[in-house]
Amino acid sequence: MMIKKEIIYRNPLLNLGYDHEDILPVGGFGAVLAHAGVGKTAFLVQLALNMMLREQSILHVSLNDAVSKIDLWYQEIFHDIAEKFGIADVHDCWDKIQSYRFIMTFKVISFNAPKLEERLSDLMEQNIFKPRMVIIDGLRFDEAGRGQLVQLKELASKYSMCFWFTVHTHRHEPPQDNGLPYAFLHIADLFNAIVQLATTGDEVYIKALKGGSAAPKDLLLDPATMLIKDITPQKGR
Amino acid sequence: MKRDDQKIRNIGISAHIDSGKTTLTERILYYTKRIHAIHDVKGKDGVGATMDSMELEKERGITIASAATYCEWKDHEINIIDTPGHVDFTIEVERSLRILDGAILVLCAVGGVQSQSITVDRQMKRYKVPCIAFVNKCDRNGANPFRVIGQLRSKLGHNAVAMQIPIGLENNVQGVVDLVGMKALYFDGDSGDAVRVEEIPDHLQQEAKAKRDELIDAASLFSDELTEAILEEREISSDLIYAALRKGTLQREITPVYMGSAYKNKGVQPLLDGVNYLLPNPSEIENEAIDLNNNEQRVVLSVDPEKPIVALVFKLEDGQYGQLTYIRVYQGTMEKGSTIVNVRTGKKVKVGRLVRMHADQMEDVEYLRSGYIGALFGVECSSGDTFTSPDVHLTMISMYVPKPVISLAIFPKDNKSQIAMAKALNRFAKEDPTFKTFVDNETGDTIIEGMGELHLDIYVERMRREYGADVSTGNPRVAYRETITQHAEFNYTHKKQTGGAGQFGRVAGYLEPISDAEFVFENKIFGGAIPTQYISACEKGFRQSMAKGPKLEYPVTGVKVVIHDGAAHSVDSSDMAFQAAARGAFKEAYLKAKPVIHEPIMKVVVETPSEFQGSVMGLLNQRRGMIIGSQDEEVLCVIEAQVPLAEMFGFSTVLRSATQGKAQFTMEFALYRQVPQAIAEKIALEVAQNKKSAA
Repeated sequence: MMIKKEIIYRNPLLNLGYDHEDILPVGGFGAVLAHAGVGKTAFLVQLALNMMLREQSILHVSLNDAVSKIDLWYQEIFHDIAEKFGIADVHDCWDKIQSYRFIMTFKVISFNAPKLEERLSDLMEQNIFKPRMVIIDGLRFDEAGRGQLVQLKELASKYSMCFWFTVHTHRHEPPQDNGLPYAFLHIADLFNAIVQLATTGDEVYIKALKGGSAAPKDLLLDPATMLIKDITPQKGR
Repeated sequence: MKRDDQKIRNIGISAHIDSGKTTLTERILYYTKRIHAIHDVKGKDGVGATMDSMELEKERGITIASAATYCEWKDHEINIIDTPGHVDFTIEVERSLRILDGAILVLCAVGGVQSQSITVDRQMKRYKVPCIAFVNKCDRNGANPFRVIGQLRSKLGHNAVAMQIPIGLENNVQGVVDLVGMKALYFDGDSGDAVRVEEIPDHLQQEAKAKRDELIDAASLFSDELTEAILEEREISSDLIYAALRKGTLQREITPVYMGSAYKNKGVQPLLDGVNYLLPNPSEIENEAIDLNNNEQRVVLSVDPEKPIVALVFKLEDGQYGQLTYIRVYQGTMEKGSTIVNVRTGKKVKVGRLVRMHADQMEDVEYLRSGYIGALFGVECSSGDTFTSPDVHLTMISMYVPKPVISLAIFPKDNKSQIAMAKALNRFAKEDPTFKTFVDNETGDTIIEGMGELHLDIYVERMRREYGADVSTGNPRVAYRETITQHAEFNYTHKKQTGGAGQFGRVAGYLEPISDAEFVFENKIFGGAIPTQYISACEKGFRQSMAKGPKLEYPVTGVKVVIHDGAAHSVDSSDMAFQAAARGAFKEAYLKAKPVIHEPIMKVVVETPSEFQGSVMGLLNQRRGMIIGSQDEEVLCVIEAQVPLAEMFGFSTVLRSATQGKAQFTMEFALYRQVPQAIAEKIALEVAQNKKSAA
C-alpha cells in the first residue's frame, strides 16, 4: 500500500534517531510538548495512523473534544496524506484501517486511571478491542500529579501497552536547560521519549528532548500531514 | 388578515424525540387562545395533544407528520410547524426547515444535547435557520439547564447564552428570572395563564446579576451602541439588549436560551416573547429560486405582495374533503380565484378554497400573501412542487432527499384491501419523497422502501387504520448493491439471423470501478467503428444492465464504461441491436471485474447510563458493528458505532432488555460498505432460495 510506505518512510520519530518503528517499549511513556495550536494532536494522530496501517490497535483518549471531532482529525490527516502522495484507493484503505482505532472521551475532571481501566476491561473482556498504544490528549500535567501517571504506567505494563501524551507548554514559562518546562520536571523520569514541536513563522519543527539520538538539526514537518517535509534518503533506501 | 410583515413569524419546533415539543406546542396554542383546554400527548384523557392530529401519533406519543398551525401572540402572527423527532422522519424535519424562517430548539433539562438534537442542528445549519433554545423539563429529577447550555456550546458549537435563570428546579420549579428585565416571573393559575411579575428573590440576586452581565457581554458583540453604553456605565435598556441579541440570532452567531417546564406550565409565555423579539420576520430572510427561463440562474425572491406568485408545496395530506396541499408563499399574493401554474408539470390550476390551518381544523381565507403558510384544496401536485403566476418560470431550489435503505413486501388480504392499499401507497409516495413503492416484476409482490424499520412500520399501520387496508408484510429486506472491484475488458458481438431483418452490433471496451459516481459512460471511438447514431443505444444498453447486477441481481453502482471499438452492419444494425450488444458486453466483462456486494451501514448512536456501557458495546459488536468511540457524560455515556442495517432489525427490543429500558438509540444511513465474504455467501444462498420459491 503506497500510503503505508509514505507514512512509515516519513515518520518523524524514525528520522529523529529512535531505534525502531514502535519507539516505546511495553509500559513505556512518550510525550509531545508544544504550545497551544502547534499541532500536538495532529502529530499523535499521524503516529496513530502509522500504527493502524501496520494493523496495530490504538486507543485515542481525549479529554477535550467530542468523538466526532477526533474522528474528523483522523479522516482529514489521512486524506491530506493521501492527497499529497496521490493515493487513489483512499476510501478502501480508510475502511480497512478504521477498525484499528477506538476513541474514548472523558470530561477532564472525571478522568482517572481506574476509570480508564474499567472502560478498557469492558472492551478487552468481550474481545471488542485491545489497544497496543494509547494516546491521552488533554491531560493537565500540572494538576494530574505524579500519582496518576504512576497508576497509568502500571496499567500500561499490565495490559502490554504504551502511552503517548500531549503536553501543553506555556509561552510565559521559559524552558529549563534540558528544554523541558519546569512543571514537567518532576515527572520527566517516567517518560522514555519526549519530543518538542515548535513553530517559526509557518514552519513546524520537531526536536528530540529525551531518547533518540541527537539529530544533526531540527526536522521540518509539513503542518498538514505532520510528516517529514524534506527527506534526505537514508542509507540502503 | 393583518398586513404587517414585521409581525409575522414562521417557526418550527425541533428536537430530540421525547423532549416534550408536542407538549410545548400544545401550551403555546393554549396561551395564544387557539385551544381552550390542555391535553396530554399520550392521551390519558382520551383526547391527545392538538398537534398530533393523526390517530397513530396519539397512540404512540410521537409526532409523525408535521402539522402546521398558526396563532397570535402580543400582536404578532406566528405560524408553527410541529416537526417529528425520530430520525426516520427527518425528511419531514428537513421540509419544515426549508420553509421556516426561525426555530425553537427544544432540549431536555436532564438529557441535554442528545444525538437527534445534533442531527436537527445540522439540518438547521444546512438551511441557515436562526434559532433560540428552550430547555424543557426543568421539573424532572436531575434537571440542570446550565449543563445543557454548556453542551450547546461544547457539542453543537453554539454561542449559547442564558436569557433566564430558574427559580427552583425539579419538583420545586416555580418560575424564572428574566435577565433582560431583571424581574422574577411566576406562572399562576391551574394552567399557568397568569404571569405574575415580582422582584427577584434575594437568594438569586447575585446569580442573576452575574448571568445578566454574561448575557450583556455576549450581546455587546453585535451592537456598538450597547458596547458604548457598557463602557460609559449608562443604564442599559431592554430594547438595546434585545436589538443586539436579535442581530446575533439572525446571523446564527448567538443562541439565546430560555428555560422552563411546558408540562408544568412554566416559562412558555416568555419563550413566546422571545419568538417575537428575536426570531426573524419573512422579509429578513433571503429566499432564492431558480429561473428556468434564464439558464437556471438563482434569483432572490422579494416579499413584495404585488410581485408574481412563487409558492412551495411542503406537505400533502388526505383530509375528509380531499387532498390538502400545504404551501408557503414566498413572493406575491395567492388569491382565491387566481390562476397558478405547477412548474414541474406545466399544468394551470385555479385557486379554489384557501385555508389557514390549526392542526386538523381550518379557517377559510381570501388570500395568502408572501411570507404566509396555508393550504389549498383540490390541487393535484406532489410534495416539493413550486406554484407560480403564469408569467414567471421559477422553481424553488430542490430539497435534499436521501435514498431509501430498507424495503418490505406487503400483501393485501383481499381485493378490497388491494384497492385501498393502492390508494394509500399512491398518497404516501406523493407525501413523502423518501417513501417509494413498486411491484417486483419477478415475484409480483408490492414492495415499499423507506429510511428505516419504524418509517415503514408507521406507513403500514396508517394503511390499515386510515385506509382500512388489511395487509400483511414480509421480512424487511436490505437494499444491497453490487459493484466491481477491477478493470475488465469486453468485446461482444450480438448477431441474430433468424429470418426477416437480422440484428448485428459489436462493442469493445472495458469496465472499471469508480468511487465518486454511480455510472459514467465514455465514448472513445474514433473513425466510426460504431456509427454515431448508435452510441446512445450503447449507453442505454449499459445503463439498463446497471439496474440488475449479473451477480445477485442487485442494482449496480460505481461503474465506468469505456467503449473504444466495435462494428456495425449497413442493413442489420439498429438501436435495438446495439442495446443488446451493450447488455451482452456488460455481462461478459462484469464477472471478470470481480463484483462484490455492498450493504448499507448505519450510524448508530446509543445513549446509555454508564453502568450498561459494556453490555451495549457487546451488543453492537455482536452485530458486526464497528464502534467509533464512546463519550463519557458523567452519568450517561454515548456510544457511536457503524453497524450494517441488516443486523439492526429488532435492536430496540434487545437494547431495552439489556439496559432495563434506560438506553435509547438513533440511527441514520451513513455509507455503503463491502459485505464480508461469509455474509456475501449467505446472501447469495438467500437470493437463490427466494428465486426458487418465487418460481
